[in-house]
Amino acid sequence: MYSTVVRIQNTFGFFTTVAFVVAALIAATDLLAPRTPTVGVLKTTNVQVYGQIRVLSSSGPLSWRATNSPLPPLSSVRGRPHYYSSKKEEYAIIRFSLDADLSSLFTWNTKQLFVYVTAEWPSAGGSGSGQNATNQAVIWDSIITAPSADHLANLGPVAMKKLRRSAAGKSIDPSRGKLSIKNQRPKYQITHPSGKVAEQEDVVLRLHYNVQPWVGFLTWNQDADFWRWKTLRNNLSKKFALPAIKKKDEPK
Amino acid sequence: MAEQLLDQIRDLFEGQIDFEGQKLVDLLVNVLLTLVGAVAFFVGYFRQDIKLTLYIGLAGTAALFALVVPPWPFFNRHPVKWLPVGGLATPANLVVDSKILG
Repeated sequence: MYSTVVRIQNTFGFFTTVAFVVAALIAATDLLAPRTPTVGVLKTTNVQVYGQIRVLSSSGPLSWRATNSPLPPLSSVRGRPHYYSSKKEEYAIIRFSLDADLSSLFTWNTKQLFVYVTAEWPSAGGSGSGQNATNQAVIWDSIITAPSADHLANLGPVAMKKLRRSAAGKSIDPSRGKLSIKNQRPKYQITHPSGKVAEQEDVVLRLHYNVQPWVGFLTWNQDADFWRWKTLRNNLSKKFALPAIKKKDEPK
Repeated sequence: MAEQLLDQIRDLFEGQIDFEGQKLVDLLVNVLLTLVGAVAFFVGYFRQDIKLTLYIGLAGTAALFALVVPPWPFFNRHPVKWLPVGGLATPANLVVDSKILG
C-alpha cells in the first residue's frame, strides 16, 4: 500500500474476490425461487409428410413453403437433404398448439428462457438393436428474453422498441412466460437418417425449457422435483401417427 | 532545477503514503469493498433487479478507488521522523558489521 501502483493492484485484487462471491450468492438465490411451470395444452393440430419436393433454385431444397402453401393437414414431404444430394428423404411438418405457464422461471437472475418442442418416436429396432432407443427432433424453439436482456434479442429496431416498451419500468416480466400458441407452423421440418418418417406411429410432442441465468448454471426441465423446483408436468402430447406421403403433381 | 522537477513528478506518480496511511488504506479497502458487495447484493435481491447489483457494485468500487489510490493528505499525517543526516556526533556504541565504532 506504499505507492499508487501497489494500491491499485491490491484494491483490484480484492475487488475480484468480492465480485466472485457476489456472483456465487446470486447464483445461489436461484435455488430459493420456486419453479412451478405448468403446461395446459400441447397437441398437434396438423401433420404433413411430404415425399417429393420440387427443388427451386431460388429458395433451396426445401421450398415446400413456396410450393405448398397453405399447408394441408398432417403431412410428410420427401426431398433432398441438400441441393447437391441425390438422396430423397421424407419430411414431416408438424403443426401444434401450446398453452403453458413458465412465468415462475423468470427471476432476477434469469437472462433468457429457451423453450423448445421436440417430436419423439421409438426406434424401429427398439433399444436392443444398437440404435438409439428414441428418435428425437426439435420442431420449434423460441428464445424469451427477460427485460434485463432485451438488448440482446435478435430483433429489428421496430420490434426491439416494442419489446422494450412491453416491459418498460419492470426489471422482471413473468408474463412473458405465459405461452399461448395456436396452430403454430414448425420452425424445422424433420426427417430421419433412414430417410423414412411417413406412417410412423407413436409419435409424441414434448415441451422442454432451458433457463439461462446471468450468473450460474444452465438448467433444463427436470425429471424429478428438486426442493422448490418442480418438474414440468403434462408436457407430452397424445400419441399420433405421421400420415402417408402426400401425393403431389408429378413435374412434367 | 530539472532534477527537482523530475523528483516532483516522480513523487506525484509514486504517490507515497506513510505507514499509518498504509494501515488505514488496508482497512478501508477490506471493509468498504466488502460492504459495497453486500449492499449491491441485497439491494439487487430485494428490488429483484440484477442490473442494480451490477451498477452499485461498479460505482462503489470506482468510488473506493478514488478514495484509496491517490496519496490524499490524510494518508500522510504521520511522517516518519528520520535521524538527522550527518549528525554532530556518532552515537555511542553504534554497531556496524559486528564492530563497535566510536
